[in-house]
Parts: sequence; C-alpha cells; structure tokens
Amino acid sequence: MIPAGILLPVEVLHSHGYAVLASFVAVNTMLFLGLAIAKTLPVPRLRWRGGTRRGETRSIHPDEPA
Amino acid sequence: MRRFAGVAIMIVTAAMALTVWAVLAATEPRPDWEPQRLVIGGWEVRYDVNGPTIGLVVAALLLALAAGAGIAIFEDRVHTAHRRTHPRVERRPLAPRRVMERTRGVYAGEVTVTAVIPAHDEEAHILATIGSLRAQSTPPERIVVVADNCTDNTAALARAAGVEVFETAGNTGRKAGALNQALAWLLPGLGDNDAVMVMDADTVLASPAFIETARARMTADRALMAVGGIFHGEPGHGLLGQFQRNEYTRYAREIERRRGRVFVLTGTASVFRPAALRAVAASRGTLLPGVPGDVYDTIALTEDNEITLAIKTLGGLVVSPRECTVVTELMPTWRLLWRQRLRWQRGAIENLASYGVTPTTVRYWAQQIGIGYSVIALTSYLVLMAIMLLAIDQWVWYPFWLGLGTLFAVERVVTVRAAGWRARLLAVLIIPELIYDLTIDIVFVKGIVDMTVGRRATWHHVGAERAAVRT
Repeated sequence: MIPAGILLPVEVLHSHGYAVLASFVAVNTMLFLGLAIAKTLPVPRLRWRGGTRRGETRSIHPDEPA
Repeated sequence: MRRFAGVAIMIVTAAMALTVWAVLAATEPRPDWEPQRLVIGGWEVRYDVNGPTIGLVVAALLLALAAGAGIAIFEDRVHTAHRRTHPRVERRPLAPRRVMERTRGVYAGEVTVTAVIPAHDEEAHILATIGSLRAQSTPPERIVVVADNCTDNTAALARAAGVEVFETAGNTGRKAGALNQALAWLLPGLGDNDAVMVMDADTVLASPAFIETARARMTADRALMAVGGIFHGEPGHGLLGQFQRNEYTRYAREIERRRGRVFVLTGTASVFRPAALRAVAASRGTLLPGVPGDVYDTIALTEDNEITLAIKTLGGLVVSPRECTVVTELMPTWRLLWRQRLRWQRGAIENLASYGVTPTTVRYWAQQIGIGYSVIALTSYLVLMAIMLLAIDQWVWYPFWLGLGTLFAVERVVTVRAAGWRARLLAVLIIPELIYDLTIDIVFVKGIVDMTVGRRATWHHVGAERAAVRT
C-alpha cells in the first residue's frame, strides 16, 4: 500500500486540469490504438480492376507478348 | 531556411496537439478518478470502471483511420500520376512512359549486375560481404570494392579475393563522394540493362535469390528503375540487439504490407538501372538539389534516403520485393545507437528540407509529423502516470485501460511474429519497447534542436565509433 499523497495531494486527481490531461492521453491512446489495430489486421485490398493487361510489353525483350 | 524544417514539424505537431487539448478542455471532461471498492476474500481491491466517453473513443478512432487512409490514398494517387505521366513531361525524366518510349524496340542485352561496395576501413567485414555476393543463385557479373581513404587492409583483401578495387582519390565527401567517383568511372561503360548494385560493406545478402529476383524484376519491366533491399538485424548484442531486430522486423513487415512500395532504397543493398543514376546526376541543380553531375548528394547525411527521394521525384518506379533480404550490422551500444539514429533522423529531415513539400515528399513529411506527435503523446502519458502515482493513496485497477493494454500487446507481438520467440517475448512486455521508443523520440527532438541551432552534424563511421568506444 502506497502512503497517501506522497508528493501531491489526492485532490489533484479531481482537478479540471487533470481531467483534461487524462482525456488528452485517452484520445491519443485511442488514436494509436486505431493505428495498432489497423496494423494487426490484413491490409484491405480494392478489387482488381483489370489492370493486368498491358498495351505493350514492358519486358527488355521487345518481341515478348504483352 | 533548411535548418528550420525540424522546428516547422514541431510547430505543426504542437498545433495539432493544442487543438485536441482545446477541444477536450471545452467539453468538460468527465472526472477520471472515481474508484470503487470491492472486497474479494478479505482483500480490498479498488477499481475504476471509467473510460473515455463513447463519443471520444469513436472520434479518436475515426481520426486515426482518416489520417492513415488519407496518407495512403494520397501516396497512391502520386504513384498513379507518375505512372501516367506523358512521355513529353520534362520534369519527370524517369516516368515509366518516357522510359518505355526511349527503349521501345531496343534490346540492350540481358540484365547484368555490377556490385559496388563502398568501403572505409572494412577489413573485418569485406570478405563476408564478397562471399555473400558469390553465394547468390546468380552471382553478380562484376564486383567492385570502392576503397575510400582506407588505412587498413581492405583493398589488399579485396584484391586477394579476386574482385576489382577502385581507390578513391582526394575524396572528402564520405560514402556519397566515394560512390560518385566510382560511378563516374563505371557508368559510361554500362548499357541500359547493366544494373549497379550499391551495397554496404557491413552487410551480407540474407536471401540467396536477392540478385536473381532483381534481375527477374528488371527483365520483366524495363521501366523499373531500382530494386531495394529489405534489411534485418544481425544476431547478438543482447537486449539492445533485440530492440533493433524488432524494429527492423516491423519495418520489413510494413514494406511487405505495402506490397513492396519503397520508403527508402536502403544503402545496405539496392540495385539501380544506370538510366536512373544518370538522370539523377543530370537533374541535380535543376529538378533536384545537389551539385550538377553528382549521382549522390554529398551534403546529405543519409544519402540512401536522398537518392530515393531523387528517383521518386523524377517519376521513377522503384520496388522492394520480399525476396530481397539483407542482414546488416546493429549498433552494439546505446551510445552508438544514439549517434546512428541522430544521423538518420537529422538526415531525413534535412533531405525533406532541401526538397520542400512536393507530391513525392508529402508522405515523408507526414511520417515526421507522426513521430513528432508520438513524442507529445508519449510525454503526456508519462506525465499523467507520474502525477497519478505521486497522488494516489492506494493502487487502483482500471479495467478499460488494462483491456487497451492487452490490445497493444497483441499488436506488438503480431507485428514481430516472424522474428521468433525472443522477439515476441520482448514485445508482449510492452514497457521495454516503450522505453526504446522513448529513446528514439528523444533522438528526434535532439536532432531538431541540433539542426536549428546549427550544430555541426557528424557522420560517424561504425568501425571508428567502435574503436572510439573500446579506447
């Protein structure tokens, strides 16, 4: 058990400033959590829109089919 | 003006944080301190089920999603614009359609690879590097060691190993200067498909199919200007080594999730078409920063990051295939890591400053702003924790935040899963990696301060740094 108010009075925790700071940290945590979840999940891919067909070959061999 | 780029990033970041703060202060946040008591088997447990309001949670998640998706969509649009650039557009000499038009119907021979290894007193590593090149499923046709101001046996060892040695003369431009001299000698003799692989002497190719993959990619696409390596950390160096390996693993995973879209054509090993290097040299002083005629910018602290920006700015296609893996040296001490990261961080921002805000660089600026914001977020988190710990009279459990911590732990572990159980064990603990991230964040701030006050940047050579630590 930690003795009451080691350095700061417990009332600090009820102040408006502390509440704003706590919300600020909460919002940031949620922001980073959102990014973390996005990084954990598979990457969303848009359906392929027929981009595999090329007008001409990109190969270094000029006579290769496209 | 260049030196104030870091300050600009911090101002944008601070403005974002202040906006969030102001909105929260105006909404009369619910008090975050209403602990309840619960007695379980004679033990009194205090807990607080309060979490942020649903509105706050949803808004923050949406903001994160919008920021992430916004950057991704913007980057994709720039990429598409470059792919579609009309061949006559002079400011994008490496745009695919222009390259296609220039090389249509011309067969310049099979793709060959010349490995160029800049080496400054690398006698300890050079043979391993050459060995890993020769162990490739399709070894390079030529290997050139660029002996730059060596005072050791690097050149002799390389010659004895049977590779070409190019010795720099009067080079004061460090690695970039050495490469410029070697490339000025090498490039005139190379055809369109004679690729140049620039590789660090402290690196070995991890995949035996690195060069084979690069050849296949460049054979299939004559507009492809560069193939970049994906680096992993060498084994060893205890906990500090594991921090770096975890970081590199996450970075490699990120590249793979981007389907090989390049952030940096790593100096550890990347393969370039001569056309790309020539166009960069020809565009310096006009379309690109730097000295006309130089392939690499000798002012840049991170020359690999700079040449990536250069090729992308000129519209060139680049890719980092998952098969192209390398293993590179890690920093063995915190002090060396500090110096390395200071150089990387400062190099990245200085490069952005010389390019300005352009379609190509927006993504990189956003990344820096992201780091800046994470500095503020992490600091405010630590301040909050400190105030709470100094003011509470008894331990209080927060189910909501414990749940959140678990989700973070899952993310940490999933993103290093590929790196084995040690990596996962370190990741699941969260706190150690948080301390590592904090160190990187402090480097970020220090880098910006150094830049702004005009403190001279130093380019420490790893070998020299190691020697300095030993003495």
